[in-house]
Amino acid sequence: MRTRLLINGRERAMELREGTSLLVALREDLGLTATRYGCGHGVCGACFVLVDGVPTAACVTAADQVDGKSIVTVEGLANGDELHPVQRAFLDEDAMQCGYCTGGMMISAVALLAREPHPSEDDVRKALDAHLCRCGVYGRAIRAILKAAR
Amino acid sequence: MKRPQQPRWGERPPDRLEQRIVVARDGCVTARSGKVEYGQGIRTGFAHIVAEELNLPMTRVRIELGETASVPWDMGTFGSMSTAVDGASLRNAAAFARKQLVARAGDRLQVAADALAVRDGSVFAPDGRSLSFVELTAEEPLAGEVPDDAAGAVRRPPQDDRPERLEGLAIVTGAARYPADVRIAGMLYGHVLRPPSHRAALHALDTSVAETISGVVSLVRDGDFVGVVAERNDQAMAAVAALDARWVSHAAADGEPMDLALRRDRGVKTAFAGAAWRVSARYHMPHIAHAPIGPSAAVADVGDGRAEVYAATQRPFGLRDELAELLGIIPDRIAVHPQMMGGMYGRGNMNDAAIEAARLSRAVKRPVLVQWTREEEFRSGPDRPTLDADVEAALSGEGTIVGWRYRGRTNPHSYGWGGGSPQVAEMTAGRNMVPPYELGRMEALLRVEPGLIATGSFRSLGAALHVFAIESFMDEVAAAASADTIAFRLKHIVDPRLARVVETVRAMSGWRASTVAGRGRGVACTIYHGTYVAEVAEVSVGDGGRVRLERVWCAVDAGRLAHPDGARNQIEGGVQQAASWTLLEELPIENGEVIAATWRDYPIARFTDAPRSIDVAFTGEPDVPSTGIGEPGSVPTAAAIANAAFAATGVRRRELPLNRSPIGRRNATA
Repeated sequence: MRTRLLINGRERAMELREGTSLLVALREDLGLTATRYGCGHGVCGACFVLVDGVPTAACVTAADQVDGKSIVTVEGLANGDELHPVQRAFLDEDAMQCGYCTGGMMISAVALLAREPHPSEDDVRKALDAHLCRCGVYGRAIRAILKAAR
Repeated sequence: MKRPQQPRWGERPPDRLEQRIVVARDGCVTARSGKVEYGQGIRTGFAHIVAEELNLPMTRVRIELGETASVPWDMGTFGSMSTAVDGASLRNAAAFARKQLVARAGDRLQVAADALAVRDGSVFAPDGRSLSFVELTAEEPLAGEVPDDAAGAVRRPPQDDRPERLEGLAIVTGAARYPADVRIAGMLYGHVLRPPSHRAALHALDTSVAETISGVVSLVRDGDFVGVVAERNDQAMAAVAALDARWVSHAAADGEPMDLALRRDRGVKTAFAGAAWRVSARYHMPHIAHAPIGPSAAVADVGDGRAEVYAATQRPFGLRDELAELLGIIPDRIAVHPQMMGGMYGRGNMNDAAIEAARLSRAVKRPVLVQWTREEEFRSGPDRPTLDADVEAALSGEGTIVGWRYRGRTNPHSYGWGGGSPQVAEMTAGRNMVPPYELGRMEALLRVEPGLIATGSFRSLGAALHVFAIESFMDEVAAAASADTIAFRLKHIVDPRLARVVETVRAMSGWRASTVAGRGRGVACTIYHGTYVAEVAEVSVGDGGRVRLERVWCAVDAGRLAHPDGARNQIEGGVQQAASWTLLEELPIENGEVIAATWRDYPIARFTDAPRSIDVAFTGEPDVPSTGIGEPGSVPTAAAIANAAFAATGVRRRELPLNRSPIGRRNATA
């Protein structure tokens, strides 16, 4: 199955087997490992990417469904060496521990700030509620996202 | 193969400087520790310690952790001991290095050592001449046995209190590497057949369909261990699903129950017989799952007489030695490379994925990645033991506790129960079972017995369980004595550091009795491995009795802090994780099998559940040696929340979780 994925502004044409998920295409075929496997059923948020700006669970999205759409992964958030304000804020607040869920959280935060530049704390909680964190950095992540919005 | 002689629990070989501190040619200093980083921030804390002793900028300190080929032997990263033990070792080693560097510079510059200054990677004479660390070690590397007292007492003011993490940039850019991100040329993917429960044995196996799945490279069978290696991950998974296995349940228990007496004073009976009145209660905590966001994974590359393993492990040397025995390879030819870990709170002591990857790699003679699925993680990972505790207090006419009886029942809190000694059981299952109070005549007995499901180490081991029972009960006794619950605790506290964290949290929270219906505050405290913690939780209780955690205040004395904001992050995270255990978590089990397969079956706290704030204050003195910070924050939280729920409703909750829900209800619409 010939698939053309537009990932982080770069077109990648590849041969994928029928039913390959976007997560597997990213991790196994393209070596983009910042999008992480967490549950495989779309409820933990570790594999979120932006598809035409919409936060999407890559593990339950078939690669051929997003053929030709613009996909942004965590690797594509920074502009060269310049971090995205959300990345900067997560660093500045040390809004992370093990870091496994951090990428997915930042993807949803970027999408939230694009549609709502000045969210309330409750807006942030609702927008990020798809992301599970075992280390318990929710409070810091909320602070980081509100800071990135300033 | 005979295992190499290793020090026993708690013992350490003397430190050698050349194993700890090396000056690299680029002028950076590499410091080595057998501990591993899994989000608790020890790399950053250690870098602070070494930078401080050598007066170097943090950017010129490299910390190497857990690489078995190069770092000093270590038993494992657990028990909140990294900063207390290895941080102290690194501080000593760095101070010893500084002394050697200064002595060498003194000789070469012909200046008395006490006239020399160390800064920015060089030693300076008063006249401005200097020698860099690189020049001072070019011909003779730093070496020698590190004296225990090299660093002396630390009296410098604490570090800058700001957020910082050495892995941070790699985490936010996605470059951070977890085991499943390792890519080696020729790497294949493996999956393993799981028994329905840990007491099942393989009775019959039909592999005919699995063998026809495209991409399958090898079916590996070694007794009850059955795995498939394939070109792609989904092919290996499909082949395992196509295996037709029949299992029989074997009734053999995993060892005999063990009865421990952690405290048995004379005169307990007499104290109870003479008491003005008695209070008793029974508490229960269910099995909960580790539930790391990153399921277990590992890559192994096993060749002739050598092996390399990339794993998320809390015991890299333990893993190395297990592999040596399994593979018949000498430990020196096995390199364990610890990777980033996806939320391992004791789970990383098990090393199961790494051993599976090694067995499969040995069979196919190629590198193999084993990635557990979410369902495997829930169904086959080891879980936290249960606790049933009966607590009884005898009180004097003045409302003082004069007698205390605690009888607990739990499961093994460490792996390899067959070899579990009473000493290990006391330190693990019995941790924090004796209250930190003066309670007259005390008895604390514990039965440790195998559970229905496999159990093992989980953040703080027995402490979080016992402290839930003890601190809930202290609240009940205070209520029965019509005393303020904080004043009642203070009356029974003799340790001034414990009294101070309790008084601090009382002040921070503006402690007061509940005045708003449906809102309440609760308190709990503990001493965990030398760290003092007191917490106040505020909850609201909605219609239907659902408890929501609103705010938490936490006072902590962990002595000197290597990195204050890192410590704060650990306490906040401990509170948040323990709030999730307390409010939501209970592993569904049927007929000895864990039936949770997805996050819908096992909800944990989410962003919308997080409290409005978690305020942390540190009361430790900078000249008091550091104690651990990774686990203590999680220990008193359950009781603080349950006590707050009682204050809000007048109904005592003695079983967790507080918001018990049928499987799937909570997330049915997610």
